[in-house]
Amino acid sequence: MDRTSVKIVVAGGFGTGKTTLVASVSEIPPLTTEEILTEASVGVDDLTGVEGKKTTTVALDFGRITISPDVVLYLFGTPGQDRFWFMWDELAQGAVGAIVLVDTRRLDSSFPAVDYFERRGIPFVTAVNRFFGECDYTEEEIRGALELDPRVPLVWCDARDRPSSKLALVTLVRHAMKRLTARAPA
Amino acid sequence: MTFDTWDGDDESAAGRFVPLYVLVNGRTAPRDSTLDLATQVVALPVDTRRLEPEYTAIVHRCSTWMSVAEIGAYLHLPLAITKVMVDVLVEQGYLGVGTPAQQNIIDLHLLDSVLAGLERL
Ligand SMILES: Nc1nc2c(ncn2[C@@H]2O[C@H](COP(=O)(O)OP(=O)(O)O)[C@@H](O)[C@H]2O)c(=O)[nH]1
Ligand SMILES: [Mg+2]
Repeated sequence: MDRTSVKIVVAGGFGTGKTTLVASVSEIPPLTTEEILTEASVGVDDLTGVEGKKTTTVALDFGRITISPDVVLYLFGTPGQDRFWFMWDELAQGAVGAIVLVDTRRLDSSFPAVDYFERRGIPFVTAVNRFFGECDYTEEEIRGALELDPRVPLVWCDARDRPSSKLALVTLVRHAMKRLTARAPA
Repeated sequence: MTFDTWDGDDESAAGRFVPLYVLVNGRTAPRDSTLDLATQVVALPVDTRRLEPEYTAIVHRCSTWMSVAEIGAYLHLPLAITKVMVDVLVEQGYLGVGTPAQQNIIDLHLLDSVLAGLERL
């Protein structure tokens, strides 16, 4: 009896289509789970100690895809504010990799995500969400603005469209496999 | 264009916050550090009558394999608390635990089956 979990992170700035992408491929409507945060300096070991202390919550959306009877893929969207880095660390740990969604109207909002995965050597692909069909930038311009490594795949996508989201996922898994094979001794 | 680059030193408002750990059965952090939010657990066929209702609710949710994140979402429990409670249930033999995500990252065979699964979507 075994059951294996596989994780993929869906990242990008606020409103870039993370939850929409998860919903378009998930076999269940996206679920939301919350983490309660408390001020770092406070050593809380009891709920009664929380009264009067500053707390905040951070929510994550996720979906699931059953791959086989013993393998389930979980897709985790990063929290709304991309400042909660420790949550990203938990999501990224052991993940196959990440899809970084990019909104061409606000390219810079996805730069922290690109930077995060690049620094940690986590495989990722960029999925450019063309919200209104037209895109003012060429692939080269987007790559330049995001300072993308030439090896990082870039796909065009509509996060509402299942085949499009599927393509982003397949591209990521292929990319992760290619990196693994390249690293293994010949 | 100005970029909001993370310099590894988070002094922003959010940087002052850490997960709230609540004392559960004398424990404030999961004993099994491999338990992550994607790890799946399943109810084992044991008598749950001596469990407190909050724990029974988790065991009942896990009549089929269920991840820590799903349990938290369905039962409206914060993740840190869900993890500690699931850990207690695993330790006491109420839940069986699957292979967590972080152990498989180098497994090409697994990635192959994920790819095949996605292509079937
Ligand atoms: N036209 C268009 N709208 C989209 C697309 N993806 C998301 N949206 C819309 O953009 C808004 C923000 O998307 P959401 O998934 O909530 O963004 P998140 O903050 O990254 O999770 C929603 O109203 C979506 O319906 C897309 O590919 N095309
Ligand atoms: Mg969202």
